[in-house]
Amino acid sequence: MKRAYGLVMLLLLCACAAPPPRPAAPPPRDVVVLLPDDQGKTGSVVVTGAGTERVLSKPGQAVAVSKGSAPGDPFVLSDSELAAMAGPALRALPPPPAQFIFYFNLGESELTDESRARLRDAARTIRERFPVDVSVVGHTDTVGDKRYNYQLSLKRARSVAALLSAEGVDPAIMEITSHGKDNPLVPTGDQVPEPRNRRVEVTVR
Amino acid sequence: MRRTLIAAILLLAASLSPPPPCASADDAVGVVRSRSGESVVVRGGKDLPATPGMKLLQGDILSTGPDGSLGAILRDNSSISLGPDSRLAIRDFRFSPAEGKFGLLVRISRGTMAYLSGLIGKLSPDSARFETPVATIGIRGTRFAVKVGEPAPQ
Repeated sequence: MKRAYGLVMLLLLCACAAPPPRPAAPPPRDVVVLLPDDQGKTGSVVVTGAGTERVLSKPGQAVAVSKGSAPGDPFVLSDSELAAMAGPALRALPPPPAQFIFYFNLGESELTDESRARLRDAARTIRERFPVDVSVVGHTDTVGDKRYNYQLSLKRARSVAALLSAEGVDPAIMEITSHGKDNPLVPTGDQVPEPRNRRVEVTVR
Repeated sequence: MRRTLIAAILLLAASLSPPPPCASADDAVGVVRSRSGESVVVRGGKDLPATPGMKLLQGDILSTGPDGSLGAILRDNSSISLGPDSRLAIRDFRFSPAEGKFGLLVRISRGTMAYLSGLIGKLSPDSARFETPVATIGIRGTRFAVKVGEPAPQ
């Protein structure tokens, strides 16, 4: 009920804000279109108008809603219609953050050779997406006490940040944090050596 | 005497007015990533030019002119953008996975918006909602676009 009241208020507000419609033209409509994400996966959206729900679940599927009416029947937008409707907004949509995970040997703050080879990929992504924020978060497995692991994961994060800056990444955009043994990728008991938890996560956003 | 009185009034006024909005890492809900043309963040009634790296706060209104666009990443790793002649408000944003608290309410009043869902869409899709003047949109992990006030086909 409260929601219906809110909707009515919105409609009234809208009626006041909109320019006077030319009598001949049909009222404008809001159009919602569902699109696949960058992995090609399509979720779904639920569009509600005048208390009626309409679910979109296929890529390119769209629905139009006019003031005070239920959403119309879903239809599919062609690529050119989509570009005309939302091209600039879609081009301005930032890509989702990219994450890189680098691994370490037990007790060490030197990257494994394999991980070292992937540093360039991270540096390239940072360059390509600039301007960005980069978080560099160190982690350990659960071998050793809390304090030791906090220091070790901080050393790991600093070592990755230093290598990235040697690849040309500005240290000022990197935020270094240390999670020690508190945030394992693979949950284990205490004092368990687990290579997948000895890591630094670099997130580029 | 008079000057003291004026100073006292000014002091009182200053203490009554809300603290100036400032963006710290803690209360930021996201960050501007890209912009073009006329694109501003309206905060506390003031138009601030949008710049890449600028932190966004709950309550901010994002607005673009006829040649403008604006793209931002929110703290849950979702992306949101505006096309030309567009306006939206970030009415609510809560993202505390450790406490199980999630919320996203965006109100788009004009133009076009695109959205690519992030962790809220994954962890708590029911707590995300988008409102246009005539419809509400809920998400189930997705990318979508919405245009407000599209002329109807003749």
